[in-house]
Amino acid sequence: MSELSATVMNLPRRDAQDKLRGRTKYTIDRVRPDMLHAVLLRSTVPAGRIRRLDVSAAHDCPGVRAVATGADAPGLYGIGIADHPLLAIDTIRYHGEPIAVVAAETEAQARAALAAIVLEIEPLAPVFTMAEALQPSARLVHEDWRNYEIITEGGARAGNIAWEAKSSRGDVDAAFARPDVRIVESSFTVGRQSHVPFEPRVAIGSWEDGRAHIQTSTQVPWTVRNVTGRVMQLPPGRVRVTVPPVGGGFGLKFDASIEPITALLARMTGRTVILENSRQEEMATCLCRENAEIRIRSAVTAEGEIVGREAVVLMDCGAYGGEQVFLTTMTAHTLGGNYRVGAMRLVSRAIYTNTPPNGAFRACNGVYNTFALERHTDEICEALGFDTIAYRKKNVLRNGDLGATGQVFEADVLGPMLDRMETLRANTGTSEAKADGRLYGTATTVGTWFVFVGPSAATVNLNADGSATLVTSGVEIGSGTMMQSLPQIVAGQLGLAPDQVIVREADTDAAGLDVGVGGGRTTVSIGAASVAACTEVKEKLLRTAGEMLQTRPEDLLLQGGRVEISGRPGSGATIPAVVAHAQATTGPISGSGAFTAKNTPAMSGCAMGHFIDALDIPVFVVHEAEVAVDPDTGHVEVLAYRVVQDVGRALNPRAIMGQIQGGVVQGLGYALHEEVTITTDGRIAQDNFETYRLPLAPDVIPVTADLYEGAPSMGPLGTKGAGEVPILAVGAAIGCAVARAIGKPVRQLPLTPPRVLRLLHERETQPEFPHIAPGWAANTLG
Amino acid sequence: MTVTFRLNGEDYRFRDDPMTPLVDILRQEHFLTGTKAVCREGFCGACTVHVDGEAVPSCLKPVGLLHGCEVTTIEGLSSGQEALHPLQAAFEAADAVQCGMCFPGMVMSLSAFMRDNPGACRAEIKSAMVGNICRCTGYERIVDTVVDCLDTHRQTTETAGSMNV
Repeated sequence: MSELSATVMNLPRRDAQDKLRGRTKYTIDRVRPDMLHAVLLRSTVPAGRIRRLDVSAAHDCPGVRAVATGADAPGLYGIGIADHPLLAIDTIRYHGEPIAVVAAETEAQARAALAAIVLEIEPLAPVFTMAEALQPSARLVHEDWRNYEIITEGGARAGNIAWEAKSSRGDVDAAFARPDVRIVESSFTVGRQSHVPFEPRVAIGSWEDGRAHIQTSTQVPWTVRNVTGRVMQLPPGRVRVTVPPVGGGFGLKFDASIEPITALLARMTGRTVILENSRQEEMATCLCRENAEIRIRSAVTAEGEIVGREAVVLMDCGAYGGEQVFLTTMTAHTLGGNYRVGAMRLVSRAIYTNTPPNGAFRACNGVYNTFALERHTDEICEALGFDTIAYRKKNVLRNGDLGATGQVFEADVLGPMLDRMETLRANTGTSEAKADGRLYGTATTVGTWFVFVGPSAATVNLNADGSATLVTSGVEIGSGTMMQSLPQIVAGQLGLAPDQVIVREADTDAAGLDVGVGGGRTTVSIGAASVAACTEVKEKLLRTAGEMLQTRPEDLLLQGGRVEISGRPGSGATIPAVVAHAQATTGPISGSGAFTAKNTPAMSGCAMGHFIDALDIPVFVVHEAEVAVDPDTGHVEVLAYRVVQDVGRALNPRAIMGQIQGGVVQGLGYALHEEVTITTDGRIAQDNFETYRLPLAPDVIPVTADLYEGAPSMGPLGTKGAGEVPILAVGAAIGCAVARAIGKPVRQLPLTPPRVLRLLHERETQPEFPHIAPGWAANTLG
Repeated sequence: MTVTFRLNGEDYRFRDDPMTPLVDILRQEHFLTGTKAVCREGFCGACTVHVDGEAVPSCLKPVGLLHGCEVTTIEGLSSGQEALHPLQAAFEAADAVQCGMCFPGMVMSLSAFMRDNPGACRAEIKSAMVGNICRCTGYERIVDTVVDCLDTHRQTTETAGSMNV
């Protein structure tokens, strides 16, 4: 297939040289001397009522050009539920919540003016933990929760339960009542993870021809457009969002946050306004991967068949619902994935607390649900005496097996991938000798995630110099999709070289709707829309060439920058000649294409409150870790790490390997030392690089990976997203390997040296959840 | 207070608070935004520049300490159409860059390290990188590239007898 061979290659990145020379202008590098600087007044209490907010004195401070409060942008936004004001209105719900904003000629003037704002807050008793929030007498974080606008119907809600998603398939009670089953129950708890993109959230707003223009470091230009419209009560079409190169996202920038504030201030002043989070603000208000609490019970026969499974997952959404409302959906597909299960019921609840709101982070709740499911699976194996690898081979999802919502999985993928892991291990050998007297453990784990498909649009303009311009709302966040896979795909479709494909930066005025860059979706969704656009371009090109060459279009093909008559290499005309002819006769050649989810059905009645009932494109991973634990210090050294990843089709194997190395290392940080804790006054304690321990070069090892191709995918050329899932099963593999090394159950991440020492000496408090009722149904809103 | 130093080969006279961090002067006065202010506490290394040939975090360098010094930023390492530094060229060829925010600092730190430690082994390279954090790449491809660059350099110097990286 020539289209495939023309697309697959290790294309280097076109943006690398400017990035290496320091020339790339990220949003944060676009400050100009004539811009106003905005600074936020943030709450210093976790919960309270605003009794007085008087900004008049701040207006009179030197250099101040505008001061805004919640009253200036009264619309609420959110995902699923509109519960989030741009600036606090009447109520404070977390430490660090923006209350007012000052725009001044210099940042120092803006900061000085903050001190002139009169703010009186009546403190309220904060609700810090999910256990507190679920008490029947708990104070409501959102007293007015009943009156919020519902953006997406279907989720059950009550008080501090922002959203509940449930899946139920088969007779679980009957499965647990069988006389021939052992029941295994496990509880897990995980903390938050901070993204730490090197470019913080930052936006530059201006007001141009009666419309807002926001340049910003985001993964979701259309969300920023729509949210800005909502909060400013403007038609979203009066907001334009453009996106310069983004200095890291990892999911943090998959929601709007501070961007609309710049549009508001630009409208008030008529000036261009920049607002950037300081590193402290960025980390103190990071929309982290949420902390979560998980209880799983399984009924397993002596042969190892999982006849019944039930689970309760509590996800802390913090002060506002945000992404967690959507992510409750994913429990059905992550905890409910990996294995063939007879009957299953799962409930996932997003809980409001007076803590900074959480958000999306690479493979989101899949990371901890996979940790929980894989550790639970090892506990099943231990209880029933099974070999952990043999057990997985026997029980992983196969062709025709049902997921939690009754989705039918197609093809055997995880089974052959486990076989490939054995081959990979045989090739690399194991690293037990490197343990050198320390406690050694190894584990092989599996994971199920997905490609977040959804709508994308693309336009391709074919130019008279033979180049093509691809116009989409895609954003280059560092993963390389805009620099590698998309130009490769378009070039392959049109018989061009990738450097002839110009890729336009996201501009909501230029390109159609896109859900954003995240969820492993760009190559699949924008790629598919680009293929559709190329189809129209090709059809026009071949029709024109057919006229020129007096040949039927179906006898023509595109290759090497030419339209050739099939079977006659070197015949025909160059693409520039055909484009020039078209421009003179029928007009310029362009094509547009669109793509969206196919909405794979669930089994009737199985999925309640879900944003996605079934996965259009599941993605699987097999991860294997070898660790050595120092029994004196509790330090865990990762000796070896191996990955087999389901990529559908690898369009740029070298780039995918780079994503795997980077994603696994972020996972190692999550598993071992990236720890976020909440102080007694509701702050994120780790708000700088000294206290938040990121992986450093000496911490990491080279990951060995094997790309598994051929699993079914609706993506172009059979591709799947490859950048998101490398982090999916790292917590699982490390957690299982450490548990084996120390011979103690691991039920919590991260495995910092103090925690590992406590586990070794049986001084670690294992998670117990009195706020999760023993009966599954009592944990649901019915 | 007036401080005079050379910035990317040109004389520069600064008349303001001598405690101003160098990074702010580079970014705000000269628009040399290749130097990134990421943590502003000396942990991340993204703001690394050369001061008299030594790699230092510019966020921790008060301008008052620079009198008479030669400051080189990433923009000065290979300016205009000049060829890339061999390490920059190697990073480009190896597809090592992702979001790219850490790379100017990474290049400034490692170019000085390679010049001073042409015989460094992999573990020494990794140790030298503790002050340069990368959130995207997982480091190993960066380390591989430095190892390859030093190998190439050793082979070249064995042939030509030069000591310049």
